[in-house]
Amino acid sequence: MKIIIVGAGQVGFHIASRLAYENKDVVVIDTDPEAISQVSEKIDVDVIVGSGSSPMILEEAGIKEAEILLAVTDSDETNLVACLMADILSSSTKKLARIRKRDYDEYHHIFHDAAPHIDTIINPEIEVVKTIERFMSVPGAVDVGEFADGRLKLIGIFMDKDARLAGVRLSGLSDKIGTRTLVAAVVREGETIIPRGDDRLYPGDLIYFISEEHGLEKILKAFNKHVKPINRAMIVGGGRIGLRLAKLLESQSIYTKLIERSPERCSEIVEQMNKVLVVHGDGSDQSLLNEENIQDMDVVVTLTDDEETNILVSLLAKKMGARKTITKLSKFGYFSLMSTIGLEQVVSPRLSAINTILQHIRRGKVLSARTMTDEQAEVLEAIALETSDIVGKPLKRTGIPKGALVIGIIRDDEIEIPSGNSVIKPNDRIIIFARRQVISKIEKILTVKLEFF
Amino acid sequence: MRWNYVFYMVGILTFFLGVLMAIPLLCGLYFNDSSVAPLMKSMAITTAVGAVLYICFRGPKTEYLSQREGMAIVAIGWTAVGLFAALPFYWNGVFDVFVDAFFESVSGFTTTGASVMTDIEVVPKGILLWRSLIQWLGGMGIIVLSVAILPFLGVGGMQLYKAEVPSPVPDKLKPRISDTAKVLWKVYALISLAELFMLMIGGMGFYDSLCHTLTTMPTGGFSTKNLSMAHYNSVYFDVVVMVFMVLAGINFSLHYQFIKGNSLAFWKDSECRFFLSAVIVLTLVVSFNIHGTVYQNIGEAIRFGSFQVISIVTTTGFATADYNQWPAMSKLILLLCMFIGASAGSTGGGMKCMRIMCCFKYCYKELFSLLHPHAVTTVKIGGKTVSDDVIRSILGFLALYMGIFALCSVLLAGMGVDLVTSISAVAASIGNIGPGFNLVGPVGNYAEIPAMGKWLLVWCMLLGRLEIYTVIIFLVPEFWRK
Repeated sequence: MKIIIVGAGQVGFHIASRLAYENKDVVVIDTDPEAISQVSEKIDVDVIVGSGSSPMILEEAGIKEAEILLAVTDSDETNLVACLMADILSSSTKKLARIRKRDYDEYHHIFHDAAPHIDTIINPEIEVVKTIERFMSVPGAVDVGEFADGRLKLIGIFMDKDARLAGVRLSGLSDKIGTRTLVAAVVREGETIIPRGDDRLYPGDLIYFISEEHGLEKILKAFNKHVKPINRAMIVGGGRIGLRLAKLLESQSIYTKLIERSPERCSEIVEQMNKVLVVHGDGSDQSLLNEENIQDMDVVVTLTDDEETNILVSLLAKKMGARKTITKLSKFGYFSLMSTIGLEQVVSPRLSAINTILQHIRRGKVLSARTMTDEQAEVLEAIALETSDIVGKPLKRTGIPKGALVIGIIRDDEIEIPSGNSVIKPNDRIIIFARRQVISKIEKILTVKLEFF
Repeated sequence: MRWNYVFYMVGILTFFLGVLMAIPLLCGLYFNDSSVAPLMKSMAITTAVGAVLYICFRGPKTEYLSQREGMAIVAIGWTAVGLFAALPFYWNGVFDVFVDAFFESVSGFTTTGASVMTDIEVVPKGILLWRSLIQWLGGMGIIVLSVAILPFLGVGGMQLYKAEVPSPVPDKLKPRISDTAKVLWKVYALISLAELFMLMIGGMGFYDSLCHTLTTMPTGGFSTKNLSMAHYNSVYFDVVVMVFMVLAGINFSLHYQFIKGNSLAFWKDSECRFFLSAVIVLTLVVSFNIHGTVYQNIGEAIRFGSFQVISIVTTTGFATADYNQWPAMSKLILLLCMFIGASAGSTGGGMKCMRIMCCFKYCYKELFSLLHPHAVTTVKIGGKTVSDDVIRSILGFLALYMGIFALCSVLLAGMGVDLVTSISAVAASIGNIGPGFNLVGPVGNYAEIPAMGKWLLVWCMLLGRLEIYTVIIFLVPEFWRK
């Protein structure tokens, strides 16, 4: 499978290294020789220095054999033109463009119908705002993934020190909580473990469990996390994501304050808002936070462009009494520090972009795919084809590799959280949790068996 | 620096080498000669040591290999492979001292082709096949071969590849390194088959054709005959071997493009043009020089002149004539050829045409900017600008190459070897050619060099094959610092 990536920025780099790890043929194109040499030194992919919107460069990259073209440069225009050129040269290639400007927002669906040269538009900022929204509804969750149109949720949560579930065997977990759940994975000391029934949970573990929408509250309670409605929110940083989020909160009638450092930007935002209180000032200024009653805030979201500021403002807000914080972080390197520093919930535009892109790259009938916070594992939602190997026999006898787990089966309106005896029927939607080492195997299982043809 | 991982990889390589010993073993069994016992013994020991290293140092799967680790694996791997490949020679009783066996084996792996065997024809066939086979393996690179066929090496494959096949401007034929390695080995094997076929058509037996093919394609130069190619004294064989030496001296990615249907691939590549014109011009000069002095017949002058020029410039080292008897000018040209070497990305050694070209163009640029101090100029190869980083690394390489050459020839002369022999032996070892002049000339061999000198030359051969940096990095104190 050949994939061309235009733009060796952070998203491009990261996607390239993910795909190279899975033994796919990747070609990365960028105009910056420095960025390209970084890529060619660190990842096993082919590189070309040049503009991704140039037909010559695309031909050189082998666009004709490519299955997917990802245009993820910083320039929306370059991305659009790259897709257009790719379409002219090879119309069968699937083309994804990252478009970030707000001006295009309203037109995404029009593009979909009227611009056949772009198959999908990715806007990580929209994804980030969606993630923040999900985080607000699930207290204490580090990671929230939605499957089966939101009916099934995969939630990552840290086990507190005094949690009453500490030391409980997994096999007895559902009884103790009082609703059916399945622990998909435990991240302990930086390692992702797929647990068995006799494993226990310990304080400090990051636990990923699957739950149906209606049972969620009970489970969260069992983990000492209590759901309270959010009435007051503060946003620090009025960039593109901040503005989007403010608009969303405004539409949900949540009382919102937005702190922004640049006076020009402040007046720009004020023009677009009706009820949101826009405050001009530095978010890391303690007296300003006091003045704006930080201690009464249900949630503080830090979204400035500076990672370190975000971390510090979140910690400060928590210390001053804010109930909950959500922090924007882009550097993957900081993720492992989350629990050490005491950050509760973290969103990353890059991770969001990668999540969206992954869905389109996965083979077989994969409906959605998302990666976990530390990128050790991935969750796939897929349709079980009749010819696939996993259909028609109890799960424990199928050839699902070690390191992967079926965590949900959806048949029509019914949701089943499976055990070893469950049987997948053709056309079921299944949700699979897989460590990244076995992802290529899972992809193979999900695709049609070639021997039949 | 994760040493356990380095030894784990070296273990895999060693085991792999042991498995490959089955090939000469089968040959020995077929001819039922005295090579069977030593080969079996070597194979048992090599695979056992490989397996032990593999088991002892097996650790958690790693996803990243640093450049430093890559270099260490390649340098230690090559030394280990050289040591174990020497065992059959030693146990067969070809040599009395181990250093001779080691010299022969490293000379094989590095495709140098310098021999310390005084009488080759009495050596059993299994051993001689092993001697040719290690050249063939070393030519395209045993680590590249491992990367190609052992999928689990894929992760750090790139670092290993870069350390074993350093090239001034690296080119990847396929997005993934293991695919690139596979393609290169396929092309290599395909051309080798063609040569085998051509030699057999000419009436050379299968065994000798195979051995000579296995040493022509890597530009190695080991022969199964005492007189090297001169043994056959046949124009047909000379021409076939010449053609394949030239092919082996051309960048293999051009062969790949040619096979893929790009018929102008060779012509469009400026390095290839430079290499071919150098071959033609030097051949003409040498032939003109030896015509009338050594050979009275113009045809003979061209035949022997061209064979020798090609053999040396591609760093193969086959001989059809004793060029020790040639006039000084021809000898000097051959000595220069040792430095020029073949193309980048070929199996040949030397400094590589690409570097020489860049160096010349850079010098011209410097002169030009004396005349036009404000002119903006760049060095271009094949229409593409060569970045200053690359130029700098090329100049650094050339300086190191010459520096090591000078130092080692002084050291060798200090061991009591005469001037011409020391200079040519070191040049022929770093350049991976094989025969030099005087004592180590086409009719002589390296047996006369003192033991210490042999160790020195072994080091030179490894330096030359791995293009200096990978080997010499171990001598830099910074390498050992945590």
